[in-house]
Amino acid sequence: MTVEFEKIKRQNMIKLPYMLDFYPLQDAKFTRIDRFFQNLKERKLTTTKCKACGKVLWPPRIMCPECFSENLEWINLGVDGELYAFTEMKLGAPLGFVEDVPFCIGLVKIGGLLISARIDGAKYEDLKIGDKVTLKIIELEDDRIFYRFCKVKE
Amino acid sequence: MKKVAIVGGGASKCGRREASWRDLVQEAGKAMFENVGNISPKDVDSLIVGAAQPERFVFQAHVTPMVAECLGITPRKVAARTELMCASGQAAIRYAWACVGSGMADIAVVFGVEKMYMPDMTEAQTNMTCVLDREWDGVNGLSAPPFFAMTAQRHMLEFGTTKEQMALVSAKNHHYSTMNPAAHFQKEVTVEDVLKSIVISPPLNLFDCSSITDGAAGVILVPAEDAKKYTDTPMYIVGTGQASVGNVINNLANITEWVPLKMAVQETLRTANITRDEIDIAELHDCFTISEIMEYEAFGWCEKGSGGKFIENGEPHIGGKVAVNPRGGLLGCGHPLGATGILQALDIFQQFRGEVPQGRHVKGAEVAVAHNLSGAANVHSIIAYSRDLK
Ligand SMILES: [Zn+2]
Repeated sequence: MTVEFEKIKRQNMIKLPYMLDFYPLQDAKFTRIDRFFQNLKERKLTTTKCKACGKVLWPPRIMCPECFSENLEWINLGVDGELYAFTEMKLGAPLGFVEDVPFCIGLVKIGGLLISARIDGAKYEDLKIGDKVTLKIIELEDDRIFYRFCKVKE
Repeated sequence: MKKVAIVGGGASKCGRREASWRDLVQEAGKAMFENVGNISPKDVDSLIVGAAQPERFVFQAHVTPMVAECLGITPRKVAARTELMCASGQAAIRYAWACVGSGMADIAVVFGVEKMYMPDMTEAQTNMTCVLDREWDGVNGLSAPPFFAMTAQRHMLEFGTTKEQMALVSAKNHHYSTMNPAAHFQKEVTVEDVLKSIVISPPLNLFDCSSITDGAAGVILVPAEDAKKYTDTPMYIVGTGQASVGNVINNLANITEWVPLKMAVQETLRTANITRDEIDIAELHDCFTISEIMEYEAFGWCEKGSGGKFIENGEPHIGGKVAVNPRGGLLGCGHPLGATGILQALDIFQQFRGEVPQGRHVKGAEVAVAHNLSGAANVHSIIAYSRDLK
């Protein structure tokens, strides 16, 4: 008896699948907060605020976790932030970000919130806590959109 | 609720292992059953497996029946898996404890396993970056090292903590792991070595960070009233605390003070009916050097902000105020996510029985705690263990 042997070919590289991509799915087919991303396209960083209890919610939501109201409004967070903490990704970046290394990551105070964001336009050595940072919008090749911040030049 | 005891356990060697996920399970399982001679796999009625991300690391879901199959166990009361990222193993112990305590299970194996080394480590880093909120924090590259780096930066700013103090934590834990043959690392690391090691995310250098590690471990739980049937020297589970506050960065209680840890500590002391000064051994979650410093503070062994001074004064060494991480910690032993909480329990068990090498043996220890944090330090889990049944 001869045992059959065959070398088979498979497609070796696949395109980054959405569920290994860190950027969220943004259109109304996949999320009910698509308005956030539409606002970003208009260069506005926004979130939802509960009209019942007044709590500003981050991330934007369809319901207030504090009082369960669905009566929410979109508010503009503005463009001016302040650097609360920062570091630099030097080693260990995930798929999709490896090409960017090294890059700066910060925690930014804006509109009464504290949010994480990529910090562009400066090296780690050039940053200090308390620095003024300003909103920056990036667009991916597939038209998805996201926010970052830039150091304000003194 | 019935009182519950751990009557034995075993572990695989931890490290960058030339072994598959299943190989690790079988190594640890064999060691565990050999440690408890009169319990056979067929006597085990329940199996709870702590595994953080087998779907990502080895592309396998539904892992509990695989562990059962690998070890010849046929669960007929409880079969389940726990995921709480870095605390997955400890979560498994808590649930098995509840099951045995309630009478739902009689002989339960708690097993933890993680195979983290992959042919392409970018994939492993990707897995570790969906732990924080993927769409709002992970998307910014925020995995554990940058998050804890910024925690350290704030702690240094607010309280004057230094990189040298942080390095002392790494030196201490690597020193103890030189005496732990199961540990990933067996080499002494000096403060200078830490400061000179490559920068991962400033101010954190390589030796400020626990490593990616393969490993597995298991322990066997039975009602305390049955424990002496299996061993003369069981260990008792006497208390626990756990708290979770917020998840995305904006909703954390505080960056430089771990409020949920303080809550979990209070609940642990209350349920175990002990004071913090009665704790002889503390296996704390030193995923990064700054973590251990902040944990001294949250446990209340020193004042808020003085964790750096606490290690400078030698207080967390054996012979000091409390022996912290005489196993070698995550820094010295590595951090195979699902196995870590079980490895901590197993080492405390061996400490109580006097089965660890002299240099890291905490003589006369009666009470110990094991702690794990997970995520953006928003979840903290603690179990208290006792050598004697009070
Ligand atoms: Zn509300």
